[in-house]
Amino acid sequence: MTTALRTTTTTTAVALALAAGAAQAQETVTVGFAAGLTGYLAFYDGMVMQGAEMAVDEINAAGGVLDGRYTLALSVKDMRSETPAAVIAARDLVAEGVRALLVPCDVDPAIAAGQIGQQAGIPMIAACASTPTLPGLVGDYLFNLKTADNLQAAVLAEYARAQGYETAYILLSPDTPYTDLLPRYFAQAFESLGGRVAAIDTYAFDQQDFSVEATRIAALDPQPDVIMTAAYEPHFPAFIQQLRNAGVTAPVLGSDGIDSPTTLGIGPAADGVVFSMAGFPVEGGTLAAFYDAYEARYGEDLPFAFSATGYEAVKLLAAAIETAGSIEGAAIRDALDAVVDFPGVTGTTITYAGQNRVALRDVTLVEVRDGEQHFVLQARPAPETTPKP
Amino acid sequence: MLWAVLPAGFEGPLILMLVSMVAVVGIGIYSGNSGIVSFGHTALMALGAYASAMMTIAPDDKARLLPALPDAVIALHLPPVAAILGACAVVGVVALPVALLIGRLEGSSASIATLGLLLIVNGVLVGARDYTRGSQALFGLPIAVTVPVAAAFVVLAILAARAFRDSRMGLALRAARENAAAAAAVGADVVRARQAAFLLSAVIAALAGALYGHFIGVLTPRAFYFDLTFALLAILIVGGMTTIAGAALGAVLVSVLVEVLRRLADGGTFGPLTLPPVYGLTTIGLSLAILAVLYRRQGGLLPYVEPDEVLRPPARPAVPPPAPARIEAGSGELRAERLTRRFDGVIAVSEASLVLRPGEILGLIGPNGAGKSTLLSMIAGSVPPTSGRVRIDGADATGLPPHRIARRGVQRTFQNIRLFGNLSVLDNVRVAADGGPWSRAEATARAWALLDRFDLTALAARPAGTLAYGPQRRVEIARAVARAPRYLLLDEPAAGMNAAESDALLDLLEGLRRDDGIGLLVIDHDLRLILRLCDRVAVLGKGQVIAEGPPEAVSRDPLVIEAYLGRRHAGDGRGPARSAATSGAPGQKTTDQHERRRDP
Repeated sequence: MTTALRTTTTTTAVALALAAGAAQAQETVTVGFAAGLTGYLAFYDGMVMQGAEMAVDEINAAGGVLDGRYTLALSVKDMRSETPAAVIAARDLVAEGVRALLVPCDVDPAIAAGQIGQQAGIPMIAACASTPTLPGLVGDYLFNLKTADNLQAAVLAEYARAQGYETAYILLSPDTPYTDLLPRYFAQAFESLGGRVAAIDTYAFDQQDFSVEATRIAALDPQPDVIMTAAYEPHFPAFIQQLRNAGVTAPVLGSDGIDSPTTLGIGPAADGVVFSMAGFPVEGGTLAAFYDAYEARYGEDLPFAFSATGYEAVKLLAAAIETAGSIEGAAIRDALDAVVDFPGVTGTTITYAGQNRVALRDVTLVEVRDGEQHFVLQARPAPETTPKP
Repeated sequence: MLWAVLPAGFEGPLILMLVSMVAVVGIGIYSGNSGIVSFGHTALMALGAYASAMMTIAPDDKARLLPALPDAVIALHLPPVAAILGACAVVGVVALPVALLIGRLEGSSASIATLGLLLIVNGVLVGARDYTRGSQALFGLPIAVTVPVAAAFVVLAILAARAFRDSRMGLALRAARENAAAAAAVGADVVRARQAAFLLSAVIAALAGALYGHFIGVLTPRAFYFDLTFALLAILIVGGMTTIAGAALGAVLVSVLVEVLRRLADGGTFGPLTLPPVYGLTTIGLSLAILAVLYRRQGGLLPYVEPDEVLRPPARPAVPPPAPARIEAGSGELRAERLTRRFDGVIAVSEASLVLRPGEILGLIGPNGAGKSTLLSMIAGSVPPTSGRVRIDGADATGLPPHRIARRGVQRTFQNIRLFGNLSVLDNVRVAADGGPWSRAEATARAWALLDRFDLTALAARPAGTLAYGPQRRVEIARAVARAPRYLLLDEPAAGMNAAESDALLDLLEGLRRDDGIGLLVIDHDLRLILRLCDRVAVLGKGQVIAEGPPEAVSRDPLVIEAYLGRRHAGDGRGPARSAATSGAPGQKTTDQHERRRDP
């Protein structure tokens, strides 16, 4: 995994206050982030961290929150992509007195850190873990922000049916909730729209070779109209290449786990892959502006939507603090739970009211062509199509 | 520097350190005492953690997460500490057959078996999705492990480990770690000791796993796999696998090192230093620490000897040493009847028969390669005879393993000294004394008495491997006597001794015969010693007993001279010469003659 940790300065409130020129006496509201800065989560959590940093700086430059009484700060602890370390990092952050917590991008450490925040009564946002069951598993202080798996699946299913696909082959791995649930949500939505699931295959997380699956698909008669999977690195690149080598030409649908440079670097085999994600930087849109700012701050690399949801998370917290008029955990939680149509930087509005802490938001589909992402559509699925978490 | 980085939020790492200490102390019960590296204890930790999870997760959550569980398990809802202890009991039951199987294995085959255990348990946890959630996180364990709770269990684990280490089984197992053949020869039941060690260490590992579960609150099979295995092994390598103190010290050092490096890795300002963030520093630093320790001190920082054993010299117990009655002459005999041993077509010993009675000293001589040591090993059980029988006081003992032969009153020493090199001289003798029909304290008293008798008292606390050659031989004989044998088989006891040492040894062996009534079989090349010491002498040539009788008669026997010294000397009666040539001595020809001589 390419390390996205270009400049990972831990921002301190004092430095920020000076930089912003806000000289009056202010208290600091610290947002903690138990982040995997090393290990397999480094790409995802690193990007969330940078997005969050940008939001913190922006809010402080505009005078902080609650009429300038507070400035924000971000405190990041490396949990090394390990669940025990996530618990320790979360405990440390709670001991530091953070007022809100961002949890890691993978579900296991997110649950582990989430249990700590839940016990301490600290509002938490999962900025990139998209499992819609996560808030229910952890408790009433945890909010999902990323496009939830069931939303992605529903939009993908609507798209597939709109393309006229009648039959779907589904590849899932029961080894993580994401790779397990998202394809199952898709199957559910696809069938509710009149499609038919031709076959469901599974792969193991320690699997490196997909020639068996590719051969099996190639042997299907008739060929499925569409192939759907939530596999991501390293499985997706291996799968798509072996699939195309086996002569299968059916279109492939994926999910936001492949929103990474690797997918764009696969080459011709990935051409035509359509996948769901949180937003697309359409010309003149807020996300394009954000990406410009992001590139200006962190360098030339193409940013991905994880940075945008990291940014959104802090903005949402700041908005909730304003609404609550308080920095108390329960008040912030209640304010978050009542959010309606918050304008996200990804080009969609975000609603928590009535959603059991799983963000209701638009899903964007993109197509990979010639190593680039091309906008396909942005939509919010019909409630009746959306599978229950 | 430590001062600067320790204070903030040290509770979590401290608890993890204590939990890892329980784990490595537990692993040490098996690996440290037996010397067998185990990769499987992380699997036992996983079982402990999952077992405790089954007993503590709220029934509603369990029904939702693991609907396949039986209703009785779903209904279980114990307080965490009770569940942790319950998990230990459950794992104890599960680990019993594993302990019985793996305990039978030695060395690297045992290590491989533990690796298999790790793979199997992981496979089952991942595969039994309906009962464990498979690769997905099982959560909802109440978080209950605080520093005092973890510390209390550390104390419990250390007490258990120490009790086992000092027990008869623990000592026997450590002896076998140093030298398996010698441990068997003194009668130690190493297999049972190893099985017991594995079982106890499995229970303590389960304890560590359950503690981990109730600290983290979330379980995945992945958390108990190779990463954790190697992290725990790293602790044992750094601290020293063979002592409890080493394991504990390793846990402290590695944890502190990891914490310091983790904080340094984040970068920041430490006094006058401003450091950039270096991700991966922890792994690099830990690897370097392991390399450094391995390079400088292979056994780890605290190998073999517990610190208190260094600080306190071994004490004599208050009880008097037991004094076994002198063995009655004519109360039985050790018989080797027509013992034959073939090694892939080569006949090492052919139809050799011997009788050894209590209170006599029988010499066994013969040229190099005549089969003396093989014959002795067949009697002692370490080489099974191809044919023939061994009878101890009338009872058939053919084919029994060495430790059971030893328990029937036959002890031996080895041609190449086999001491328990890293155990103290006292413990070397104590291992054997432990097997006698007396209490532990009396066994220790007997060991001390033997050290006095063999002039080893001043060396009692020294690791036996550090002694000079002569004292090592004496330790080996003292050890062989400790269990009060009726028969003692000595393979070249005087080899490598100078004349003074050799004379002193003669007196000691004389004493064993005179005072204890032991029957001694002595193999030696030193004819002067044999002739002075022995009542009878048997001569082995080309695997056959070619002569037997009083020393004077045997030394004049032309067949013996021919076999021993070569055909050139046969018949000239000039006695020993330097040549040890083994040519000549055609076996077939002599059979009748030596049959005749043996039964006059």
